[in-house]
Amino acid sequence: MVQYNFKKITVVPNGKDFIDIILSRTQRQTPTVVHKGYAISRLRQFYMRKVKYTQQNFHEKLSTIIDEFPRLDDIHPFYGDLLHVLYNKDHYKLALGQINTARNLISKIAKDYVKLLKYGDSLYRCKSLKVAALGRMCTVIKRIGPSLAYLEQIRQHMARLPSIDPNTRTMLICGYPNVGKSSFMNKITRADVDVQPYAFTTKSLFVGHTDYKYLRYQVIDTPGILDRPFEDRNIIEMCSITALAHLRAAVLFFLDISGSCGYSIAQQAALFHSIKSLFMNKPLIIVCNKTDLQPLDGISEEDRKLVMEMKAEAMKTVIGQGGEPTNEEGVLLTMSTLTEDGVIAVKNAACERLLNQRVELKMKSKKINDCLNRFHVALPKARDQKERPACIPQAVLEAKAKQAAEKEKRKTEKELEDENGGAGVYSASLRKNYILANDEWKEDTMPEILDGHNVYDFIDPDILLRLEELEREEGLRQAEEEGDDFEMDGQELSLEEQEALAEIRKKKSLLIQQHRMKKSTAESRPVVPRKFDTDRKFTTRRMGRQLSSLGLDPSLAISRARSKSRGRKRERSVDKREGDGRDAMDIDDNQASKKLRLRSTSRSRSLSRPPGEVIPGEGLKDSAQKIKAIKLAKKSVLKRNKNARRGEADRVIPTLKPKHLFSGKRSIGKTQRR
Amino acid sequence: MRLEKCWFCSSTVYPGHGIQFVRNDAKIFRFCRSKCHKNFKMKRNPRKVKWTKAYRRLHGKDMTHDSTFEFERKRNRPERYDRNLAENTLKAIKKIDKIRSDRASDHIKNRLKTGKVQRQKEARKQLEQGIHLVKAPHALAQDSSLCLPKIKVNVSQAQTEENQPMEE
Repeated sequence: MVQYNFKKITVVPNGKDFIDIILSRTQRQTPTVVHKGYAISRLRQFYMRKVKYTQQNFHEKLSTIIDEFPRLDDIHPFYGDLLHVLYNKDHYKLALGQINTARNLISKIAKDYVKLLKYGDSLYRCKSLKVAALGRMCTVIKRIGPSLAYLEQIRQHMARLPSIDPNTRTMLICGYPNVGKSSFMNKITRADVDVQPYAFTTKSLFVGHTDYKYLRYQVIDTPGILDRPFEDRNIIEMCSITALAHLRAAVLFFLDISGSCGYSIAQQAALFHSIKSLFMNKPLIIVCNKTDLQPLDGISEEDRKLVMEMKAEAMKTVIGQGGEPTNEEGVLLTMSTLTEDGVIAVKNAACERLLNQRVELKMKSKKINDCLNRFHVALPKARDQKERPACIPQAVLEAKAKQAAEKEKRKTEKELEDENGGAGVYSASLRKNYILANDEWKEDTMPEILDGHNVYDFIDPDILLRLEELEREEGLRQAEEEGDDFEMDGQELSLEEQEALAEIRKKKSLLIQQHRMKKSTAESRPVVPRKFDTDRKFTTRRMGRQLSSLGLDPSLAISRARSKSRGRKRERSVDKREGDGRDAMDIDDNQASKKLRLRSTSRSRSLSRPPGEVIPGEGLKDSAQKIKAIKLAKKSVLKRNKNARRGEADRVIPTLKPKHLFSGKRSIGKTQRR
Repeated sequence: MRLEKCWFCSSTVYPGHGIQFVRNDAKIFRFCRSKCHKNFKMKRNPRKVKWTKAYRRLHGKDMTHDSTFEFERKRNRPERYDRNLAENTLKAIKKIDKIRSDRASDHIKNRLKTGKVQRQKEARKQLEQGIHLVKAPHALAQDSSLCLPKIKVNVSQAQTEENQPMEE
């Protein structure tokens, strides 16, 4: 079945846009650069190409327009009439004709100018010819601008037409405005048509689809028709008239019994009779709607008579089709779309009638005979008069009954929630229906994490067994361990030995340190002869301490050292005077001997010296000189020390370009000099 | 809620900590803290980074194969809840933990034992060789134990007085 789809028509540009498109395309797709120095044939070719190209494009585009718009004579008369009703056939044809003429004109222009271009003798002349040609083509298009706009509007409207297949099973709903056609449509199909209390809510045809006996039926909702002479009808009514006229469909004529649409039954009957010519050869059903407001039996006598007349007419159509016995119910039906009472019955009746009619027609046509030979429905022959109804086991019947009862009895979670305070207050217990070995465990909370482990990773039905095994293993292992441990303890040092070792290590590290210091300063270190001992390192007390720490008795050594330091004379004098005691005379002696011996050589006493005291061997005259020398030395060192120099020769610059001196802006002042 | 392992250092990532990175091939990398994350972004191999568990296991510093590790296995199929089983599992976890940590510390102790023995031998040798720095040979000859000499202090002896009974 060909689906009439007007959505695929390409957009028709309006005049200006059209010109712009084509000219810019010419600009882009043809070579643009030309100089007057080129060969004349090349120049001519260049401009001829442009003219030809433009003409071709125009031709193409206009041809597509002409081809894509449907020809009203070639399409199904329903669509032809519909388009005529909507857009006026003549205007339509005229517009398309204009497009056609434009196309031909453009071709002619192009041909003429190309001929002229062949004899163009300069760049300028060729160029002007091309300009003229293009200009004329554009003028042509400008003149058909209104037609293009009109066609564009038509195209847009056509795209929105409902896709009605004129050949398939169709049901047509017609009647006065506001009788309930659209509501009926909404009820039986999924279409969502506007239903409003004012007349002419539906302004065009609407299509819906419904199913009956595994077949798809188109249902077409029409705008309401008023009872007027044919010529006075407006476009909207003409749509429905067209549909009625051309579509081979079942017609449902809607009647509003209650009169709430604003028109009496008499008016509606009058309409019926005026359009009954359109109902030829179509299964007709008269539907009395709005029975909830006014039942069919309750209407007045005249109205009833009118209705019966209509019914009689409808019967005629039934009889007209194949001489079937009169089926009263299938012709006049009552329903109410509000209460949905009888809606399905109407639909079924209409579908049934239509189906029968179509089948009849098909049977009568020649083609069917070819197929009929191939059909054969096999029925088993009854062997005796015994009845054999369908056998449903008792259990199934019981189950069905129980299911029905259960559905009503069961309390849903939602009801439970509503009872207990609604969504925010009550939270459903998700654990209610858990299947566990013991129902007491339903509310248990199980920890997921324990001591940095995931409990779920450890769960195992035979974890106890494995744990036992593990503990046994562990026991064995620990026993072995203890055995091993005992071997170790032989070698440890005792406490005193450890102390001794610590001392040894300390002494050793001290020695190493001293050596390193000595090594590093070896070249610059002044070598002071030991006898001058400025640090007082070599005293007997010290010696005594060291010796006793080594474990020797120092007393002998000390006495020997002391005696040596005092010199021979002192000893002798001590010997002589042992018995006498000390006189004044001896003091002189002592003093004299004192002169020779200097106090510094005696190491028995360590006393602090005054700063300016001259030590013999230094080379200084007296203490004043020494003091001055010390002062000079300190002065010479002061500046260097302040500059953190290690010595005279230290000229090291740690950073040659310190960043803070070479970069940055000053908060005030200039940075001309750095 | 699950405790995950950090991909880099193998420590546990508790909920609310760390970052997860999902690569285009759908492999998920979890990190416990930005230190691990940054190391990963620097493309460092955890097997070469000293402080990670991967390094330690690879170089034998920590225990690798043990039966206690088999108790903890990611199970994809959940078991039906059983209270007794849950109780037993919780108790078992504690015991398994203890055993595992014991074994791990033993492993480390054993590993360090050889070093200890060596050091003790060295110390003994050093003591024997260097004793002359703290003890004079004369003192050593007298008292041949390898420890510091006892310093004799001269205590000035007071004249011994006869113990006269106190006059009453």
